[in-house]
Amino acid sequence: MKLNEFIIPEDLKSAQSALEKLGEKGFAVAGGTSLHFLGIVEKTAVDISHLGLSGIQKQGGAYLIGATTSLGDLMKFKDQGWVLDQVALHTSTQQIRNISTLGGNIVRVFPWNDFPVALLALDATLYIEGVAEKAYSSDDYFNGQPIRLFQPGQLLTRVEVPVLKPGQGFGYHKEVRLHAGFSLMTAAAVITVKSGRIDGIRVAASAGIALPARLTLVEAALGGQAADAASLQQAVANGTAALAWKGKEGMSDEYAAHLGRVVLMDVLSAALLQAQGE
Amino acid sequence: MKNTRHLSFSVNGEAKEFLVAPDEKLLDLLRREGLTGTKHGCGTGSCGSCTVIMDGKTVYSCILYAFQAEGRAIETIEGVGDFDNPHPLQTALVEEGAVQCGFCIPGIVLSAKALLAEIPQPTDAELKVYMDGNLCRCTGYEKIEVALHKVIAAGSCGGAK
Amino acid sequence: MNVKDLKVVNKSVVKIDSMSLALGKPSYVADFKPADTLYVKMLWSPHAHARIVSIDISAAEKMPGVKAVLYHGNVPRVAHCTAGQGYPEPSPYDTFMFDTKVRYVGDRVAAVAAETLEQAEAALKAIKVEYEVLKPVLSIDEAFAEGAPIIHDEPDATIPIPVPYEPLKNLVAHISMEVGSLDKGLAEADFQFDRTYETQYAQHTPIEAYVAQAYLDPRGRIVIVTSTQVPFHCRRIVAQCLQIPVQQIRVIKPRIGGGFGSKQEVLLEDVVAMLTLRTKRPVFWEFTREENFRTGRTRHPIRIRLRMGVKKDGRITAFGMEATSNTGAYGGHGLTVIGCCGSKVLPLYRADNIAFLGKVAYTNMPVSGAYRGFGATQAFFAAESLMDEMAEAIGMDPVEFRKLNHIRSGEGSPVFEALGEGKKGVPMTIGSCALADCIAIGAKEIDWSRRTPWRSKTGRYRRGLGMCCLMQGSSVPEVDMGAASIKMNEDGSFNLLIGATDLGTGSDTVLGQIAAEAIGTTIDKMIVYSSDTDFTPFDVGAYASSTTYLSGEAARKAGAKVKLQILNTAAEMLHLPVSELDTAEGWAFSQDGQHKLSFSEISLYSLYQKNQYQIMDTASHITHKSPPPFSAHYVEIEVDTWTGAVQVLNYVAAVDCGTAINPKLAEGQTEGGVLNGISYALTEEYLFNAKGKMINANLTDYHIFSMRDKPPIKAILVPSYEETGPYGAKSVSEICINGAMPAIANAIHNATGARLYTTPFTPEKVWRAIQAL
Repeated sequence: MKLNEFIIPEDLKSAQSALEKLGEKGFAVAGGTSLHFLGIVEKTAVDISHLGLSGIQKQGGAYLIGATTSLGDLMKFKDQGWVLDQVALHTSTQQIRNISTLGGNIVRVFPWNDFPVALLALDATLYIEGVAEKAYSSDDYFNGQPIRLFQPGQLLTRVEVPVLKPGQGFGYHKEVRLHAGFSLMTAAAVITVKSGRIDGIRVAASAGIALPARLTLVEAALGGQAADAASLQQAVANGTAALAWKGKEGMSDEYAAHLGRVVLMDVLSAALLQAQGE
Repeated sequence: MKNTRHLSFSVNGEAKEFLVAPDEKLLDLLRREGLTGTKHGCGTGSCGSCTVIMDGKTVYSCILYAFQAEGRAIETIEGVGDFDNPHPLQTALVEEGAVQCGFCIPGIVLSAKALLAEIPQPTDAELKVYMDGNLCRCTGYEKIEVALHKVIAAGSCGGAK
Repeated sequence: MNVKDLKVVNKSVVKIDSMSLALGKPSYVADFKPADTLYVKMLWSPHAHARIVSIDISAAEKMPGVKAVLYHGNVPRVAHCTAGQGYPEPSPYDTFMFDTKVRYVGDRVAAVAAETLEQAEAALKAIKVEYEVLKPVLSIDEAFAEGAPIIHDEPDATIPIPVPYEPLKNLVAHISMEVGSLDKGLAEADFQFDRTYETQYAQHTPIEAYVAQAYLDPRGRIVIVTSTQVPFHCRRIVAQCLQIPVQQIRVIKPRIGGGFGSKQEVLLEDVVAMLTLRTKRPVFWEFTREENFRTGRTRHPIRIRLRMGVKKDGRITAFGMEATSNTGAYGGHGLTVIGCCGSKVLPLYRADNIAFLGKVAYTNMPVSGAYRGFGATQAFFAAESLMDEMAEAIGMDPVEFRKLNHIRSGEGSPVFEALGEGKKGVPMTIGSCALADCIAIGAKEIDWSRRTPWRSKTGRYRRGLGMCCLMQGSSVPEVDMGAASIKMNEDGSFNLLIGATDLGTGSDTVLGQIAAEAIGTTIDKMIVYSSDTDFTPFDVGAYASSTTYLSGEAARKAGAKVKLQILNTAAEMLHLPVSELDTAEGWAFSQDGQHKLSFSEISLYSLYQKNQYQIMDTASHITHKSPPPFSAHYVEIEVDTWTGAVQVLNYVAAVDCGTAINPKLAEGQTEGGVLNGISYALTEEYLFNAKGKMINANLTDYHIFSMRDKPPIKAILVPSYEETGPYGAKSVSEICINGAMPAIANAIHNATGARLYTTPFTPEKVWRAIQAL
């Protein structure tokens, strides 16, 4: 893509007013690594990487992640209930992780993006700031292309991700041909186990299906069931029948459907194992 | 060039000013400034031969807009060593026979240097993760790994400049 | 010759250009761009097969910054072959600088040279082309089908040597041989096999894409600086295309960022040279990565049918191979690659009845060319897969089965004589062969004894061991020629001038070592300069695993001649007979130890003092053999039987390359070849849309391994001594790319029972093969 101008604003407010003034002609750039996927020409770049929107803080039961936090920083951050390091570790390459940002991964969603899947499973909250701040649940935010929610001058500023608690488990898998490849199948799940039963379940997938989405039928099939492999198997078998799986990179759709079920089983099993404290 | 603007950032420790077009990539800027050790291999941020270090972290200069370097510190292979004083990484790569066509090697040196500045004694897994953005088609990476392990074992690069 | 007595050869001296490359010094074509250069962009065909009905460049010519536009209407129409090979080429002249027809997505339509890249790109959009889209031919079967569209219907497509070439049938080449009777051999067998294997499109993907520039020197000659493996062929082909004398052209190859065979072609140089002639300006052209994939050369997809027979006791009675390749739109390496399917593979195992049939098809697909391994890669996948199947059928361990049958020192093969390059081959008896040692050493390293039958394995993740044996060649006998010149300087240093082309392999270092050994000096005294057609003697270039064996012997002979001159001068200075003198480490000395002279003293004497002359000499070399290096490869893998994903856990390559001139560089060749082979087996492939356009033309989606993806690779050099090579050396660069595909196929079978016949071994293919059990 071609940029015909760039602006390096001093602070968030001036970035927002610049973007507001530019309207359709403006484009917020943080890491900028996905720009070559966008067929955009004649835009003015507004550099939002220096605006203090980077960093991870633990506050109460949640992590507050600045929107321009690099994937590399997500990978390096370590804490008991923190799981996004697993996602970042399997995203692209070190040079990309160093500059690519969480916001960039989730403002425009490509089928292969990694973080929307994890954030859906984690029930994250996403904050868009214009004149005032507005919070979106991950369900609302990812229910379509997120960019639909942004008015000129509005920016994604932070993402709130709950701290994983004891009794909860997280599973994540991204199927690739090689580490740096784009995802062929991504799935993430958070399972809460109480008294041997599945008390809470959120599971999402992408790449093999059109856009990142929660698999509500799988969730429905699992809720309240015994916390064991048989329940997972049954839920995956019954809950995925209606999904339209799409094969990538020469894969048939039939194989994609098979792979999707294997990956879901793996992710759910990992989440269950962790939830059961193993 | 329309809409050219002045940028200032440091290259290999020296503060510089550049006149750039808005969509000029850092790689093209560096190469037209004569810093040809940074290579063009793919133009899509896939191969790593254009790797430079920006504020201590490796980036692909072929997809980084020059303006993104404003106010930052850029380090290229030209700043790493010279014949009379090569960097330990360069010495090790040469001694271990890790340089075949050599096109990827400046990027390999910079990625390893950034890694060792951040983690002086990386595990093998950390090494592989931090080096995953530099493709080499000649060596199968064996000799490169041997050279990097040699530098790590010698500790000659910990917290290197 | 005792290898232990060698002073410079068989030592891992530091590769002479490696520090400058590690420091990032200007080295490659793009690092030497003149300030006032013009930039080239090419308008490529969007269609796989079309006629150019009309083309209007007038608007583009008037665009800002545009200095020249080339298309079929304003350049000479000269049928030629882009592949850099001997002359006359064993290949059709089926290519024109620009033509009125386009034959694949990425074929040339028109070129623009402009002051900036952006201006050149803008001008491309102003070129108006009307195409008559023709039905494309997108597979071997479509090419040979009744009534198939004719890809080369132009009357001026011809072949310069008398071999079958039938473009009206889309047939590029057709070769066959039979020794004994295949049918009889099959009838004698206890077990007969008839299997068909198919390999995919793949690319070399050097990290430096194709790049070339040209400028006029002060006397008006064209200087081409290019990333080429064949500078002398490049000069000849550009002269042919431009219809100017060779004398008018100088080709310089600086450092190049990898080649692997891809740069054995003249794909840019005719255009930059023509544009320089037209504009009198320097001209620079670099392929984008996408152009490199679409327009650059590829590995031939080949369908190989094997018919083999084996006795219960393990004797092979019949070895029949029918290989049909897809050479794409142009046939530069069609004949030679298909020939190597037979000539490099069939001799490995003894069989009384051998047959080979090779056919090459034109299609409207990317152009296949020379790629490290060169036909042997594809054919060894087939042959070594079937060797395992045969071993299983007769209940013999695959290693024992191969040990029983492989060719040995002192043995020949009728195949050597039957299959040459566009003519008969050269009979050959194997000299050095340490394959038995390679097999044993590799088996020990991987611990082959723990291999268990696939039927005993259970669970989701199953491990398997696989192996294969390989041979290659070293140069094309009685075809290839390399030459070297050596000149002595005042300080006892030497200029070694060689036509041979170092494409990153380290051949400058290796040839410097050989020359230093022959002269009796040290490697630091060698100033190696290669691949400049104005200054270095001729060499065919870097291909056919020839440089160490062929050009190395030229360097050795030139060194020996220079040594004799040094000794003659020393004898004159010392008043001693030459027979009492020798050289070592930069000194000439009398064998009684009484007298010695430094090379510097000798050189100063010869240049300034008495009977002055320049100590220098030249030697050329051709070979009468192509001694094969041998190798045994072993791999351990793990298959996720639920997804079909294959992970390589461990890889061992034991290789007999004769004397390793530089062991670390020889290991590096092996390790690099192995990893390229692994990704070729597992992940690399061209994906096409229905119209023949490649859809994954970038380095992320093409999938070559990073350090994070790679398994441990152990290269073991197993010594032998090849009497006909320099200090016992044979080739090493190509052989090791050929092992991974069959070894992994055999390991997948050992892990799961599934046998793969088509490549690459994607998870889906493996999963389906497991499902089909």
